[in-house]
Amino acid sequence: MNCEVCQLKELVSLGPPEPRQEVEHFEVREVLRCILHTILFHRALGLVRPKDVDLELFDITYVQCGDVEHEKKIDEKIDHFIDRVEKHPNKKNQICLSFYEVKNKQATWFTNKVERHYWEQWYINLNTVQHPKTHSGKSHHSKVVVDPGETASEERNARRTALESSLREVLFQIIKFVNEKKDHVPPIPNLDGVSFPYEITISSSSDSAFGMDMLKRMLQTGHPTMLS
Amino acid sequence: MASNHGNTNSEPATNEQIITEFFAKSLHIILESRCPYVSSRNYSGEQVLSSPSSSSSSSSIFWPRDKWFNLALKDCSAALENIDFWRQSYLEPMVVDVVLVQRSSNWDPLNCSPKRALVRNLSSKETYYWNSENDEYRNEVMSEKIIERWVVEYESKKCSNIGGGGGGSGSKRWSSTSSHTLYKKSTLLLRSLYVTVRLLPAYKLFRDLISSAQIGMYNLGHRVSSFVEPFTHTEEAEMQRFVFTPVDTACGRLCLSVLYRSSISDVSSEPSTPMSPQFIPDYVGSPMADPLKTFPSGPLPQGSPSFSHLGRRHSWSYDLYKASPPSGIPSPSPSYSESHATFAKPHSYRLPPTGVTRHLPDETPQEHVKNTNYDEYSPSPNFSMSPSPSPPTYTPGIHISNALKRSESAPVSIPAIRASGIPPLFYNQMLPPSPPLRPSKSSLAKMDCRSTLLQAGSTVDKIFPFGKDEAGRLTGVKISSNSSPQKSISRSSSRLSFPDDYDESEFSGPFVVDEDDMTDPGSRPGSFDPVGNPCGQNDHLGVSAVKKSQDAAVGALVCMLKKAPPLQQDLQNSANLLHGSRPEILKATTIDPNQISGQPVMQQSAAISSAASLLAPKTTADALEELRGYAVMKNSLLKQGGDHKHT
Repeated sequence: MNCEVCQLKELVSLGPPEPRQEVEHFEVREVLRCILHTILFHRALGLVRPKDVDLELFDITYVQCGDVEHEKKIDEKIDHFIDRVEKHPNKKNQICLSFYEVKNKQATWFTNKVERHYWEQWYINLNTVQHPKTHSGKSHHSKVVVDPGETASEERNARRTALESSLREVLFQIIKFVNEKKDHVPPIPNLDGVSFPYEITISSSSDSAFGMDMLKRMLQTGHPTMLS
Repeated sequence: MASNHGNTNSEPATNEQIITEFFAKSLHIILESRCPYVSSRNYSGEQVLSSPSSSSSSSSIFWPRDKWFNLALKDCSAALENIDFWRQSYLEPMVVDVVLVQRSSNWDPLNCSPKRALVRNLSSKETYYWNSENDEYRNEVMSEKIIERWVVEYESKKCSNIGGGGGGSGSKRWSSTSSHTLYKKSTLLLRSLYVTVRLLPAYKLFRDLISSAQIGMYNLGHRVSSFVEPFTHTEEAEMQRFVFTPVDTACGRLCLSVLYRSSISDVSSEPSTPMSPQFIPDYVGSPMADPLKTFPSGPLPQGSPSFSHLGRRHSWSYDLYKASPPSGIPSPSPSYSESHATFAKPHSYRLPPTGVTRHLPDETPQEHVKNTNYDEYSPSPNFSMSPSPSPPTYTPGIHISNALKRSESAPVSIPAIRASGIPPLFYNQMLPPSPPLRPSKSSLAKMDCRSTLLQAGSTVDKIFPFGKDEAGRLTGVKISSNSSPQKSISRSSSRLSFPDDYDESEFSGPFVVDEDDMTDPGSRPGSFDPVGNPCGQNDHLGVSAVKKSQDAAVGALVCMLKKAPPLQQDLQNSANLLHGSRPEILKATTIDPNQISGQPVMQQSAAISSAASLLAPKTTADALEELRGYAVMKNSLLKQGGDHKHT
């Protein structure tokens, strides 16, 4: 069975002007929660009671599968992602949501790992741009009197509007992919909620393992179908 | 082999069941997020077991219908009411139109006539209805616009000979895989549908509506039918199409698509607060308030006062088009109208009989192809999207949708022209949204009147006189747009507390007489309501429950006493005599108070005084005064007697 891969459209989020500003990280949290839960809802083919969640920063309502355990797991991963963003600012970061099947457990000499067969991978590309620092000193452009606060606010609003539009495109991209690719999805197990095991990994462009991780999966799963 | 053969034979039935339930589930998903009307059970009086789906998400109880496609949804009676037809035959497409209804009100009493009361003018979509409270007609214009059209259909095709006769294990596997695959893909499709309905622009309107932010400004309705008039090219150009990848089955494919407007007039940007929080001095209320007040003949300025009248007086949870097809036109689904006529009853999802192999037509019905241009809708094998599917931009623009052709069977409507004055519009089992929290005296009367009327409940929505249009075409489409009943219930409870909050000086219900009205006894409620408006009677019943202020009660009593006929004619004459003779008595007493007028005079005065005492309402003070008077007379008599003795 082939592994279907979906590279979602890159999203640009404005990072905090100063590190460790939780308020500014909220935008990243909102975006990632929305995307991850939307994907998970499409793959939670067990019995679910959907939960509608309204984003606070955007005029978007996304759907969760209503499982508190999975909600916590996603939030933890998002926290890890934010830590990485702080460590590697101004870099493209990526979250990979992979669904797999557990193959026959074969305890061998070399490994006790359970063989996983990834049948679907979602790559969420999030580019966190450093917030331009507010100009506190003299302006080089003495002729133009500009309130740096208002400029930053307007810029932020514009970026947020653009981010909302991009987020909508990403959501429709997910819907499109889910509709187009159905044959690779395994049979629905007799489980409630999220019926397929999954994992979330985080990587950034600066990591040497960024490309290797993808290559590793490609080799492991055969010929992936790349979608952009 | 026998078992294989049996399983093979049951596959078509299983597929049919899946397809049937797919229709039901998709309708449920769409209407759940577009129909503010939650449930009819609150208004029909019947208790329907509420699905745990409507309760908190933490509930672990799932109903049987929740388990279809593993998607537990909230209760949506609108979906239950409309799905029966497609349970009988899923070969007909299911078209769900989401209609945005915006209305404005213009006062035009001069051009209104009783004959046009309650008659719907379909061409201009104007409705005149009797306004029972101010004895005038109101012209209301509604603009309707189809903002979404969902199409769910099963395109059947020639079935390959599956498992017929000696199928063998191979065909068995294929058949069983087919059902499982169909179910899995249908589940995935419904997941996508659930997410998509919340991303389209209409969802925002729905959310604003149920959040009670847009009282009276607009409403969302829906029509569920199998045949609709296709959009014109112009209309379709204004809309965007979103086509879900169809799910292939052994004998056809399940298709789902939507045409939606990405640019809806930004109704949500208008003031979300109730139309007028301030007190409206000339609010149309009880005639007792100011029976001589005239209302402007021209249209009132746009804004709160007039619209607030509408918002408060009339329920805006309405069924716009509720009609049944004429008897001459066969209904595609008799059970549909029947189910709607008794839609208070709980509807259980009926499963198609298993083991019954339906005959699938070899070709798509020509009528179906002719009446609908679903060929345009038939999705390509590749999932296609409109160029810009996502942006929910809101730009102004109102487009009035065309009239509908024949549609599915709709609930039976009673083409009643009631003189009772119930507006044909906007009535359903739903309670109306609450009136403003600052009640005026007449608004309270109206609220009670309205609630009493709505308790007539299940028949009210059938009163809507929507039958054949002018062209003689059938418009048997049910459109219902309703507000949230939960909101209405909470407001009705708060309504009961209004009298406690009332300022006595403000209250003047129709049965409470103000001091001003005491001077004009002709302006009684009875004389005001020549039509014998049962609403007035209902006012009586309703207001009687209202606590009257003491002053108002006294005023009423005084007025009653004033109007009360005299007890006896003799007393009346005595009263007249009293009125005439009193000055003389006073004159006599003042001129010669010490004189003994003599017994006849005393007797006369006593008689007069007794008559006067009979006529006048007696109080303790009056009695005391009389007693003093008698005592004075006695003393005077005794004194006079003593003087005579001495003399």
